[in-house]
Amino acid sequence: MAAKSIAQEYLKGLWDENPVFRQLLGLCPTLAVTNAVINGIAMGLATSFVLIISSVVVASIKKLIPSQVRIASYIVIIATFVTVADRFLAAYFFQISKSLGPYIPLIVVNCIILGRQEAFSSKNSVGRSFVDALGMSTGFVLALLVLSGIREILGMGTFLGYQVMGAWFKPWIIMILPAGAFITLGILIAVALLIEQKTKSRS
Amino acid sequence: MNLSTRMVLVLTTVGLISGGMLATVGILTQKQIEKNKQREIKAAISQVIPGTKDSGILFEEEDLIVYGGNDETGTLIGFAVLVSGTGFQDKIKLMYGMNQEMTKINRLAVLEQKETPGLGAKIASQETFLQFWENKDSSGALKLRKPAASSSELAASEVNTITGATISSEKVLEIVNLSLDKVKRLKKEGRLKKEDGHGS
Repeated sequence: MAAKSIAQEYLKGLWDENPVFRQLLGLCPTLAVTNAVINGIAMGLATSFVLIISSVVVASIKKLIPSQVRIASYIVIIATFVTVADRFLAAYFFQISKSLGPYIPLIVVNCIILGRQEAFSSKNSVGRSFVDALGMSTGFVLALLVLSGIREILGMGTFLGYQVMGAWFKPWIIMILPAGAFITLGILIAVALLIEQKTKSRS
Repeated sequence: MNLSTRMVLVLTTVGLISGGMLATVGILTQKQIEKNKQREIKAAISQVIPGTKDSGILFEEEDLIVYGGNDETGTLIGFAVLVSGTGFQDKIKLMYGMNQEMTKINRLAVLEQKETPGLGAKIASQETFLQFWENKDSSGALKLRKPAASSSELAASEVNTITGATISSEKVLEIVNLSLDKVKRLKKEGRLKKEDGHGS
């Protein structure tokens, strides 16, 4: 593997290997919770917490784990931190925990997390894994922010609960329904590919 | 060490450490989570029975809890009914408060719902739905008004239907009417009493 600088390791999660727009990983929570910006942010942060801690833990004990049981071990580690995040939200952010409901436990099976352990943390140092997880988390949070921002503004006329559209605006209900999630995500992925093509052909 | 022993050892250790961590976090957060739930119910009671200083459980079964609300002198000033029922998508949990005679619903509050965002979810909105539930005549069953009318046009036992969410509105009405019947019957049978150990 060509050695990347720490900065590159971080930045790749934002664009080149953005988990949502480029790798198309973790789309279930991405589609489900992005009907309001606050839910998108909370989901992004909870996932980041689990991803970063799991990556550090997996990177630090990778030599001890026989490869035959590595997936099982990773899942146990990930599930532990997801449950910790779930309980923490229920205890200190009760309203958010109520609105995210069943999606927090589902972080366990979010492919981004297991994917990073398998593709990165199990082969790299603790420091690099931390930076990688941080980059992927930022990319994921940004993706959720863009998606939920578009959906909340068009679907409810608000951003983070504040009215941003004038009284003339008739909310597009479809945007906060599941169909709106698919449409928005599809368009965003197309735009991401288009930008990629344009920049590639120029260089 | 051969491979299978190592595999067993690693998985056991990972499991034990995770289990220990979960138990610790569970114990640490238990109290706060319990407190959040209690606080939410307390807040809902004082919202649906204005002037409540103190409350206690009078009747409890699955999906239905009746609270009695007292004023500062300890006199019963109303009942709060916490009830769950099936909505359009999932369970709806709501609470309404009534006067002592059970002839008037003061207010309705929606505690939990997973109705369609933007449509059915409006059952939790004060402007679109809940305001039409204030001070309603509950001596008989309540009825829905469709299409929605302004507050002054509604009869004392009528509430508005949400445009685009008729089913969610109907479900809420059904949950209220069914529980209303039951709670009145319980009162008639003298079963709304403060149980020992449930003292507030």
